[in-house]
Amino acid sequence: MTATQKVEAGAAGHGAEPRGKRTEDGQATYLIAIAEALWEEMERDERVYCLGEDIGAYGGAFKVTEGFIERFGPERVMDTPIAEETIVGLAIGSAMEGMRPVAEFQYADFMSSGFDMITTALARVHYRSGVPLPVVLRGPSGGYVRASSFHSTNPEPWYAHAGGIKVICPAFPSDAKGLMKSAIRDDNPCMVLEHKWIYRRVKEHVPEDPDFLVPIGKADVKREGTDVSVITYGALVHKTLEAAEALERRGMSIEVVDLRTVYPLDEEAILRSIEKTSRALVVSESYRYAGIGAEVSATIAQRAFEHLDAPVERLSPPNMPIPFSPTLEDAFLPQVSDIEAAVERLSAW
Amino acid sequence: MTTVQMPQLGETIIEGTILSWLKSEGDTVTRDEPLFEISTDKVDTEVPSPVAGTVSKILVAAGETVPVGTALMEIAEEGEAAEGAGGSGSASAQTPDGRQAPGASESPSPAAASTEPGASESPSSGTAPAQQAPAQTQVPAPATAAAAAAASGGGAVAEMRERGPRSKILSPLVRRLASEHGIDLDTVEGTGAGGRITKHDVMAAIERGPAPAPAAGPPAAVGAAPAGVAPQAVPTPAAPSGAAEEVVPMSHIRRAIATHMVASLQTTARAWTMVEVNVEPLVRLRADAKESFVQKYGAKLTYLPFVVRATCDALLEYPMVNAELRGEDVVVRRFVNMGIAVSYDEGLIVPVIRRAETMNVPGLAQSIADLAVRAREHRLQPDEVQGATFTITNPGPYGSVASVPIINQPNAGILSLDAIQQRPVVVDDAIAIRHMVFVSMSWDHRVIDGELATRFLARVKHNLETWDFSSEVGR
Amino acid sequence: MTRTAWLIEPPGLVPYDVANEAMHDLAVRRLRGEVPDTLVLLEHPPVFTAGRRARPEELLWSADEVEARGGSVRRIDRGGSFTFHGPGQLVAYPVVDLGVRPDVADYLRRLEEGAIRAAADLGVEVGRRPDVQTGVWAGDAKVAAIGVRLLRARVTLHGLALNCDADLSWFGGIVACGLPDHGVTSLSVLAGRTISVADANGPLRRRLAESLELDLRPAPEPETPRFAPEVAPART
Repeated sequence: MTATQKVEAGAAGHGAEPRGKRTEDGQATYLIAIAEALWEEMERDERVYCLGEDIGAYGGAFKVTEGFIERFGPERVMDTPIAEETIVGLAIGSAMEGMRPVAEFQYADFMSSGFDMITTALARVHYRSGVPLPVVLRGPSGGYVRASSFHSTNPEPWYAHAGGIKVICPAFPSDAKGLMKSAIRDDNPCMVLEHKWIYRRVKEHVPEDPDFLVPIGKADVKREGTDVSVITYGALVHKTLEAAEALERRGMSIEVVDLRTVYPLDEEAILRSIEKTSRALVVSESYRYAGIGAEVSATIAQRAFEHLDAPVERLSPPNMPIPFSPTLEDAFLPQVSDIEAAVERLSAW
Repeated sequence: MTTVQMPQLGETIIEGTILSWLKSEGDTVTRDEPLFEISTDKVDTEVPSPVAGTVSKILVAAGETVPVGTALMEIAEEGEAAEGAGGSGSASAQTPDGRQAPGASESPSPAAASTEPGASESPSSGTAPAQQAPAQTQVPAPATAAAAAAASGGGAVAEMRERGPRSKILSPLVRRLASEHGIDLDTVEGTGAGGRITKHDVMAAIERGPAPAPAAGPPAAVGAAPAGVAPQAVPTPAAPSGAAEEVVPMSHIRRAIATHMVASLQTTARAWTMVEVNVEPLVRLRADAKESFVQKYGAKLTYLPFVVRATCDALLEYPMVNAELRGEDVVVRRFVNMGIAVSYDEGLIVPVIRRAETMNVPGLAQSIADLAVRAREHRLQPDEVQGATFTITNPGPYGSVASVPIINQPNAGILSLDAIQQRPVVVDDAIAIRHMVFVSMSWDHRVIDGELATRFLARVKHNLETWDFSSEVGR
Repeated sequence: MTRTAWLIEPPGLVPYDVANEAMHDLAVRRLRGEVPDTLVLLEHPPVFTAGRRARPEELLWSADEVEARGGSVRRIDRGGSFTFHGPGQLVAYPVVDLGVRPDVADYLRRLEEGAIRAAADLGVEVGRRPDVQTGVWAGDAKVAAIGVRLLRARVTLHGLALNCDADLSWFGGIVACGLPDHGVTSLSVLAGRTISVADANGPLRRRLAESLELDLRPAPEPETPRFAPEVAPART
């Protein structure tokens, strides 16, 4: 096949534009950072290989793997049919045989086509058979891009619940790179959910050290504060930071805790923050009922009870399909103003 | 003190009628004992008492229809005194062991005053003494009991005073901090929504340090009670335009004063009478004697001791002015505990000179000086701010010539000594310049009438104009 | 969320005083938590009861007249005006604890709902008239009167009286419920056929249990107050 083909940009930002390069002063977008992680790990360990739909000749729907097939060949950058269950099964089988597969799902929404393979097999084989499965599942999740309910899912609660898969949701390019590398090097099944809204919108200086790793299961305080702790992940970290700026101008100081990994949870980091501020707001793009926010809230209520000066507040969308209409999507997903309002409500309690 | 309100029996029921009172003022009640019968448009019922105690005050008459939430009755809980609670508002009226602290106005502090009347630092408000405030916040045994209860959790809430709809909501953090640091939450002012005690409030109380020893009286409590004095409000988003406007939350004392003032005005049938007194001889005497006086007696000589002497005599002559309305009875006293209104940093306080009728000018001067100094240093004892039978306020130093004070409940009257000024007056058919002063009294028409009030003031005037004080000041 | 409750259905015509006292006794016990919520269904011999707002001029017959007809007059502690109880009228006294913050309006609505549904079960369509007064109405005529009192502002007393095949001429003796311009009717009149207390008992019991969320079971004998009947059932 020829090198990556140029096509029109599709919905949600996939297709079209090349992945791009670092800026002159060395900043990389989230997209580039993830690509660098994959590239570096594939160079480092020849057992690492990628599989997924359109990742080879096409370079990936979002251009993550643009240029990979030229470098690593079709056996390590494997185009698959539209068959998620098979993709996962293939990954499991090859992992059992000593490979370290990185399976891409064109949209994280489609992972549920392989739900059984993920939750019943991938998450449990090690427990049942003693065989570790160093598999990474990765794909773009989340909304705010007018992609509607088939292309905007936040599936992290489903897979966090499986109990056998680490679920990672980075918000910043450096975190994304370091966590992806850690996930590939981890002998456990890991799922890296890359928020599609962040792909090309956020860039920063990303370390070039090929052994730069970010530990899985550790949160990071992205902004220090004293009045309210806002615990969040994914695209909402950026929205929360924006809200923090606005709130600061009104005299409120909020601390923003980026979970980075959603399962396992960095409970200690969360508790340290609550001990400081005594008020907690959990903002999550996964649905309210049985979502990540629910888990974090319960943990705070249970372990930080005597540090709380107010009940734990949660901000999440309702359990409903994400609307297609832009106005409705904006009303559905948490916005900066919603975060501000929630912080204000919490402060006034 | 517990206030019983018209209960809400349903969302759409907005008012109720008191059909009959089943208990009267002064009756003891047990918990759940029926207090009164009400009728609403949907249902009739009797309403049980939320606490055990004594009925202190009935605020609404039988037959009246009032909205839900209206305060109907006050019950002094066991351990509080029920008497003399009239007009003192709800929780802030009583200390757990039943003391009242009459509030304060101002008077020239003999220690601080210069020789001219106008130089005192007390603000001349002309407003009347406010009821207590300091006293009830800091009585040791109940404080520790409340703190212990706070530490244990649930019990504390029942003990705590009602200071707003959410003043008894204690978050887990607040309870823990209070418990760990021995903070009596009953003394902590809540600045959160609805009066809730927030972490900030408790932290401020912790920083202020432990409560003074039991010997410290109400003003010491005043010092500590600034647990209540406005910490910063919880940051609110809607900050008004910066420098032009400042929001200052009311301090605990301020609130207590406010409550007492309103209650006094709402309870008493306040009338006011004024006389003009020729104090030329007094002015001359004082100018003559003041230096030797302070050397001999260690206290500055102001006009206040003279006025107190003159007033005590008049009070003994007209004891109905030295009286108090309790329920349907007028309690007449033949001794005078004279309240002297003092202004200080927290607001107003009224220290009391007990048995003032037995004291002479030097004694009064020393006592007034001592009380004023200690009031300003927050060192008054609890029994020094309660039990006044009559009150004197002195706004004169700031220059007001006439004031209409608010009666210090439960007194029947309050006398105001305003500024002494030289005025042209008629003396023997000629105009002469004399030092004159307006002495006025706000008095409670429920207890005394105009004729008595006027006669009383006339007596004060007579005393001031005709008595020879020279021997008393060592001249 | 239903809760366990007792059902007491004394037979015959229960004298008003006996029932009133027994009901108050139940309420006190309910307040103390000694008994669960209880529903009493019974019939009275003819009696006019005057509530708190009843004015003397609303009793149109003299005391002698009332007695001559075999009735009596009682002044009682419920709210409201005059009403009549008698044979052919099914009376329900739910003695339930509404809690420390009672929603009385809600409770009254539930009583109305129960009676309305019971009437519907019997093929009679009736409804509420919030513009006039609490109760169950057919147009401008009332078919069931409701009057409630609370004990200690939480436990209910009195309740509902549903005219089944009562002799409505008794209502001529009072300005019923203090409403001179409104009439009184019964299920039988509305249906055009006889609906007796026995017919209405089952439906009203079930529908009140439903609307008040009571899981009814018979009250254990010795523990409940005695609602002794005056005579054996006077009508079949």
